Parts: sequence; structure tokens; C-alpha cells
Amino acid sequence: MATATEAAVQKIIHSPKELEAYRKKREKNKKKNTRIVRVCIGTGCAAKGSRRLYELFCEAAGGAEQAGGGNGSNIVIESKHVGCHGLCELGPIVVIDPGEILYHSVEEPDVAEIFRETVLGGRVVERLLYEDPKTKKKVKTPAEIPFYNVQKRIVLEHNGHIDPTSIDDYISVGGYSALAKALGSMEPEGIIEQVEEAGLRGRGGGGFPTARKWRSCRRAESPDGIRYVICNGDEGDPGAFMDRSVMEGNPHGVLEGMVIGAYAVGASQGYIYVRNEYPLAVEHLKRAMEQARKFGFLGQNILDSGFSFDIRINRGGGAFICGESTALMASLEGRTGEPRAKYIHTVESGLNGRPTVLNNVETWANVTAIIGMGSSEFASVGTEGSKGTKVFSLVGKITNTGLVEVPMGITLRRIIEEIGGGVKDGKAFKAVQTGGPSGGCIPADHLDTAVDFDELTRLGSMMGSGGMIVMDEDTCMVNVAKYFLGFLKAESCGKCTPCREGIAQMLAILERISTGEGELEDLDSLETLAELVMEGSLCALGKTAANPIISTLKYFRGEYEEHIRNKHCPARECRGLFIYKIDPESCTGCGICRKNCPVEAISGERKQPHVIDQGICTKCNTCFEKCPFGAIVKV
Amino acid sequence: MPTVTIEGKTVKVPRESTILQAARKAHVWIPTLCYHPAVTSLGSCRICMVEIEGSDGAPGRLVTACNYPVRRDITVSVSSRRAAGVRNGVMQLLLARAPESEELQELARRMGVKGTPYPKVTESQRNCILCGLCVSVCEEVIGASAIGFAGRGVERVVAAPFREASETCIACGACAVICPVGTIQVRIHMDTGEAEISPFKSRSKLLICEECGTRMVSVPVAQTMNDRLNIDWEEFRHLARLCPECRRKHAVKALGLGAGEDSVTPLEKIQVNEANN
Amino acid sequence: MDRELVTQIVERYEGDSGMLIPMMQDLQAEYGYLPAEQLRAIAEELKVPLTRVYGVAMFYSSFRLSPKGAHEVTLCMGTVCYLKGAPRISEAICQEYGIEPGGTTADRMFTLQAVNCVGACALAPVMIVDGKYYDGVTPESALGILGALTPEVEGSVAAPAPQSKAGGS
Repeated sequence: MATATEAAVQKIIHSPKELEAYRKKREKNKKKNTRIVRVCIGTGCAAKGSRRLYELFCEAAGGAEQAGGGNGSNIVIESKHVGCHGLCELGPIVVIDPGEILYHSVEEPDVAEIFRETVLGGRVVERLLYEDPKTKKKVKTPAEIPFYNVQKRIVLEHNGHIDPTSIDDYISVGGYSALAKALGSMEPEGIIEQVEEAGLRGRGGGGFPTARKWRSCRRAESPDGIRYVICNGDEGDPGAFMDRSVMEGNPHGVLEGMVIGAYAVGASQGYIYVRNEYPLAVEHLKRAMEQARKFGFLGQNILDSGFSFDIRINRGGGAFICGESTALMASLEGRTGEPRAKYIHTVESGLNGRPTVLNNVETWANVTAIIGMGSSEFASVGTEGSKGTKVFSLVGKITNTGLVEVPMGITLRRIIEEIGGGVKDGKAFKAVQTGGPSGGCIPADHLDTAVDFDELTRLGSMMGSGGMIVMDEDTCMVNVAKYFLGFLKAESCGKCTPCREGIAQMLAILERISTGEGELEDLDSLETLAELVMEGSLCALGKTAANPIISTLKYFRGEYEEHIRNKHCPARECRGLFIYKIDPESCTGCGICRKNCPVEAISGERKQPHVIDQGICTKCNTCFEKCPFGAIVKV
Repeated sequence: MPTVTIEGKTVKVPRESTILQAARKAHVWIPTLCYHPAVTSLGSCRICMVEIEGSDGAPGRLVTACNYPVRRDITVSVSSRRAAGVRNGVMQLLLARAPESEELQELARRMGVKGTPYPKVTESQRNCILCGLCVSVCEEVIGASAIGFAGRGVERVVAAPFREASETCIACGACAVICPVGTIQVRIHMDTGEAEISPFKSRSKLLICEECGTRMVSVPVAQTMNDRLNIDWEEFRHLARLCPECRRKHAVKALGLGAGEDSVTPLEKIQVNEANN
Repeated sequence: MDRELVTQIVERYEGDSGMLIPMMQDLQAEYGYLPAEQLRAIAEELKVPLTRVYGVAMFYSSFRLSPKGAHEVTLCMGTVCYLKGAPRISEAICQEYGIEPGGTTADRMFTLQAVNCVGACALAPVMIVDGKYYDGVTPESALGILGALTPEVEGSVAAPAPQSKAGGS
């Protein structure tokens, strides 16, 4: 691979001029007539075998080059593996340049045809093109696909275009020029001002003004002059994979932002804390760091500026709480991830008692963009209180599951309907959950809300890190609350009483409600406990732990009451709180259900509609799964 | 020096004092459980929460009194609805966690909390409120670090490594003394001459009075003292072969002070002038 | 069990007790779990109390104090997987093999782990066996996959969990 050679030969880049010269040289050396095959190897596509596709394309390219080009001209074929394109639902994704022809759901047998037709022949393979569900027309490029053209990709700009393991690719799209600008022609205070004018707020969930955090750290006293910057890559919200995709797909974008930030606050050592469950992100970051060091973007006297800075990667041990800043720092100190009181802020006394800036992956990537494009261009996107874009992982009962980046201020409706393609299988929309376990559910009435920090909080949810889970009519909201509380119970560190005991007590109540043993007073108890946990907990995990309950009670109280009063689950999800019935119109009398029922509750003659004896039925769901005609309905 | 106005009373305290210290100076009572002057305050039990009034109509801020550092003038309310609500709620949760602790029930009474609406927790979790005082005292004061936290959430326990008897425990009983809910006990086993720290399973032999057979201090504690005071062990054993009572009787006899044992005032009846704590 | 490895690992991180977690990750990568003796050794070498090392081992979900099975089976319990039936899959496996989540089968064939969202929500429900991802899993198909496991595994028995095995490669 090109990267090994380039890294071996590369000498340190000493100045912005040298960087520009290097980039121009690579640009010139790019051969004309190059056809590029971009295969996505983000975790989602890789899980569907895209790495093998990449290998096959490489083989085909190697063979073709030996044969002197398929159609007689000397073409160069470059296969690269690239980061997440975002349209995960339709992976594996392969894009061919020139022309940016996008193919989806590519399988191994398709490789030969794509190579012959598109790469060599310049023709499209119709059946692999994306079909617009409304117009039913096939479209060729991302610009024609609503999923992409409604997005504004600043953080994800290079995802899917560059090979994340190639620093050359990154430099060729302008990488490290923001750093060169910062170190070459800006002062630390000036950088902080740019970030302030851009209006950047933390993307990890807190939404705290980044410039303010940096300024406090810069001004805080450090007896030995040591300060730290940390990148929080401990993305723990279930259903959220924004940071993973950025770390996997464009690791240099994160590194560059960190060096700029370190220079701005006066830090000489940085850490990236990556969740243990993200092995590919760790690998790509490590490689990127090695390359950055070889080029002199990390280490001593960066770009001849006199500023020295290096980064270390630590993997998490498997604890959601380590996404909390003081717990993360405790983990970096080799201790259990228990948060501590923040009466003294971490910008004053953080890691090892030194002033520390901790920011999320997406925040650091935004820093690179801001310094690169300038604060006014960045601030031209978004709303008054929330500038720029936000990356969301749009998942759940949605047609287009995937990763999207949108300008702040876009409505939930546009995200869900235009980008997401609406609720899957034509079901009715029920709610969208944002903010992970700390957030809440937003019902249909509020779909025209503008997505921004303050608006989402006003509705009783929060922006959070970017997980956006779509739920339909078959989702039981009591079950949703139960899921999140179960998650939090397992992840609570156990240090403080309200979180530790309060969450367990709330979960016990939800469990009784979901098994038909709830009482109306339980709803009052839930509200009392919710307030206690919110007011009394030590850290944000505990303080926001009741949000899933509060927001579902706010918008879906009727469902809770139905579980309690009628011992019935209206969404037909809670086992035992709904019954199974055979629809006599659809039943063909094949007898499969009868034969598979473990308690012999189903009776009927062959080819006659069968019947379930409700007195015997244990509601095990077997008949529902087995019926080939969909004749079993949940009532 | 910043001024703290608390429940209408005003005190000046050195900067970085805690609200709890200010409260004690002002003779205002705030309940505590996981706080002890001998160890670092973690602010984990939350039973000392108070409300700092916000400025210009801004909402108040709930903080733990035991470790909130006073850096400027503040007004603190202990009896505000929010603060009292949290403290009482915490106590109710703890009563479900440690239902058999008399000390906890006494504190609840003093706080005016009458029982708990919550079901008791499972057997394995019962009675330890995970305040961490035992862990802290063993680490910070005794220096043995014999016990620590293990696990997360409600399943978290205080235990010796691998749930076996600790190799570094000296059976000094500091953990039992500091435990605010009476869960940790020192049990003396007469048959084996050992002290056991329950529930941590550590056992240590006790020194025994050669005359009357009374169990005295544990051997590891004695050895630890020896090491720290640089006394020869054999010499110490020789000096410590009698319990205080027998030693006193011998001393009385040697000094010729009494007609016999009967004229000697038993130790228990002597008033001891306790040094100011 | 020899002390050599622990000494090496401690040296690798320059004896910095702040790097305790990476040290334990390296140790687990070697043995597949954290043997008690090696934990004692780390505590001694770093001159930290054993309670601290034990506490860290018991706090983080990725650490195991007992040996794993030959195969590592992971079920994603992220929101989407959960809503698409992951608990039923877990139940089916536990019932069939008589284990609890986190446990190892009696014949040490595999260890079942529940894990928080792996970030592949388009593939829900997700089951990962020795780093290979299976998508759209059902209780039936899961039992089918597990039933086909044999004691021989190519090269990935002692391979550490965090290595990049994603992508079925």
C-alpha cells in the first residue's frame, strides 16, 4: 500500500510553505485518467463483507493494469478503502470516480461486472444504482439522492472520499493547512477568538461554549506549567455511532483539531480516550498518529513554530460512565471510573490535578473546519444559539438507517422524512428518541421543531451526542423507558445514593408495570423518585437518568395507564399484556402453528381456520414467528 | 475571609472551608453519614445536601455541605423545600437499603423521616450503604488498604481482594468504629483466640493475658505498632504479657499500696478524664 | 505462571501506575482473562495496594477474572437491537445452554457476553462470534450458528477482544 512507502521516505515538513509545496507536488503527480474505486470499510459495511470486495477490486485492478488497460488506453486504477458514507442501510457502498457513481448493496459477484462496465467502460450498472422511492427513478450520484443532498457535510466532508489510513489523501484535500495557518500566522488568543466567533458549542451532549472552556483552561494556574487536552471518544449512548465514524473515517481531522486546540490553551500533552468496543477506530487513530509524527505534525517544534505536543491513545475498559469527564480522567489515572464533584472545574484542576480541556471527537473535528474556513463562514450555518452542523446517527424504524450531518435549525421532520425516507414499512411514526439514556422521546406533534441545543431541551429531551432513534406504532413507550433504566442501572458507578438506589427502585416499578402488576400510585412514585434522582445525584448520568421516564410520562401517559388499569400493552410488546389471535380470513389451516405450539393451545382441522385457546396460551410468540401467512395477530 | 449566611446566622470562615465547617461554627445541624473528619470527603451519600441561594432571582444550587469549598460570600439554606426534599428522599432510599441499622433509624428520627415507602433491597445488598468510610480509613489512616470497592451500581460491595480474607488486614477495628450504620463488627472468638472483622472474613490472633486469659489487642496491630515505634518484638511481648487489669494489680502490690485486691478500685469504676477530641 | 510477562508489561508503560488499565488490557490479551496471581504481581511491581488493582478489574466490563470459552459470542444490547428482539435471543441461548449472560458453557465451548451498542444499527439484531458479525439474527438462527461451533478455532482463541477483527476477515 502507498502509505508504507510514503511514510518511510517522508521527511519532516517544516513550514506552511513546505506543506503547500508537498500538496501541490502530489497534485501534479496524480496521473490523469485515473479511475478510482472507493469501497466503504466502516464497521457497518465491513460487517457485510466490504473488505473482501475491496480485495477483489484490488485484484481486478492489478490484473487490468498488467494487461495495459481494458480498453486500450493507459488508465490507472486506484482502489481505496474509505470511511463511512453514512448510508449504512444500503451497505456495502462502492463509489466510482470519475463521475461519483454510487452503487449500493454490492456483493462479491457484482465486482467483475462493476469493474468491466463502469471502471473500464464508463457505463453504469443500472440494477446497483439507488432508486428514488418517490419517483422510482434510478439516480447515479449522491447529489441526486435525498439522503445526501439535504445534508451539509462539514465534519463528514471527507468521509467516504479519502482513505483514512493515508495521510497523503488527507493532505491532498487540504489537510493540515488549518494547523499551518494556526501555528504560522495566529496567536493562541486569536485562535480562541475565532472559535468564539464561530459560536462552537460542545458536541458531546453538554453543548458548553468551547471557547469559554479553552479560555478558562488557558488562564488557570498550573504550578508546573502542564496542561492537558483530551479527546472524548468514549461514545457510549446506544444507537450512536457518529464519533466512531469520524475516528474511523477521518482520524487526521481529529488530530489536527487537537493540535490547534493544544496550541491555543498551552497544552503539551494530549490523550484520546477511545471506547474499548471500537477496535477499528483505535487502529486508524494509531496509524494516523504515527504518520503525523513522521511528517512533523506531532512531536517537537511542530512546523518550526516552537510548539511541541504529542498524543497518547488509551482504550476504555468497558464502562459507560467513563464518558463523563471526571470519570474519564480517573480512568486515565488508572483508577475506577467514578465521577467526582465538580465544585472545582476540570479546566482548573483536571487530569492529574492539572488544568485540562476535554472535548468530544466531533467538537475537535469542528475546530479543524473552523480554523480552515474561518469563523464567519462557519457561523453562517445554523441558528442563533447553535452554530454549525450536527452529525446524527439516524436509526430504528426508519427506511434509511445511517449517519447524517445537517445544519442546526433543520426540522426533525426533514431529517426523518426527507433524509431518512420516513418510517420503515409504512408504519405510523410514534416518537423520536434523542440524547441517549439522558434524553427523551419527542412525539409527532413536535416534528416541526428546529433541531438545536435549546429547542430540544425545551421539549424535554436534549441534543445529546447525536443518537436519533425513530420509533413506530409498534413500540411500547413503557418498554423504552424500561430499556434505558436497565441500561443505566448496569452502568451506574454506585458511588452516590440517589443514582444507585433511585434508578434501581424506578426500574423495579417499571418492571411491575410492564408485567401487569402496576398500580396508579406507582406513577406518583416514579415522579417523586425522578425528582430525587435529578436533584440529588452527583453526576450527569444520575441527574439525567430519569429523563426517559419523565418524557414518556409527559407525552404517553395514556400508555402507562393502559398497562396499569387494563393490564394491556397497546403497542403489543410487553409479554403477557396482549393476546394472540388467529385471523380466520388469512388462516389457511396449514397447521404449522398447532404443531409447534409447546402447550397445545391451538386446535383446528386441516385447511380450516385454527383457534387459540386463550386459557392455555402462554404467549410464547412461537406461532407468530412460525406462521407463513401472517395470520396470527397481536391484540 | 468569606462570609457564610446559613439559616439566618452569619459566620466568617477561612477560604476553602466547607459549608459543613461553617455550619458547625454557626451551630446549625446538618445530617451526615459518609463524612468523617479523619478522611477525605467524597460527598457520596448526599444526605448533607443544602441549597446555595442564586443571585438576582436565579435558581438555587444544591450542593453537598461536606465538601463544597467556600470561596466567596454565600447564603445557604438548609431547610429549603428542595434541600430538605433531597435529604429526606435519600434517607428513605437508605432505609430500604439498610433496614436493620439502629444507627440509621436514629438519624432518620432526628431528621423527621418516618419510615420508607420503598421495598427493601435484596439480601446480598442489605445493610451496607456504600459510604466508603471503611475503605478510606483503612487506606488513608491505617495504611493497610485491606478492603476496597468491587463492582458497580447496586451490586457494588466493599470486600477484600478476591473475596478472600485480606492479607494486609491487621484487625485493628478502625472500619468497625467508623462504620456509621453498625454493619461492620469485630467478633471475638474465644475458642480460637481470634478477632474476626465481619463481614470481611479476616481473622487475626489476639494477644492473651498470661494471668487471667483476657483477649487483648490483635497480634498484627501490636506488630504494626512495634514496627512504627521501632521496639524489639520480644521486648514488647515481655512487657505486654499482662492485661491492663492484671498489670495494675501487680503494680499496686509492688508499690505496697493496698492490703489486697479488694481494696483496689476496679478499672471500670475509675473516671477517666478524656482528652479533648 | 511466570512473573516475566508482568515485568515486561510494567516496563512497557515505564512503571506508570496511571497506565494500570492498559497494563491489564495487555495482560488479558495474553491469557484471555486476568489470573489472580498476575494481578497480585502487578500490584507488587507498581507498589499499589492489591485492593486498587482488584477494584479496577471488577469495575470495567471488559475484564474477566475467569477463563473464557473457546469462542467469544457477543450479543449487542443497543436500543435498536433491543427493540428488535435481542433479549429473546439472549434468553434462548441461556436456556439452551444453561448459562447466564457473561457465563461460559459447561464444556467451555463459548462465553456469552452482552455488550452495549456496537454501532452497527442497520444490521440489528447483531451477534458477533469471534469477531465475525452476523446481522438480522433470530433466536433460531443464533442457536444454529452456535450449534455449529467446534472446539477448534483458527487462530483466534487467545486473540484479544480489542483487535480489529471487524468485517468477517
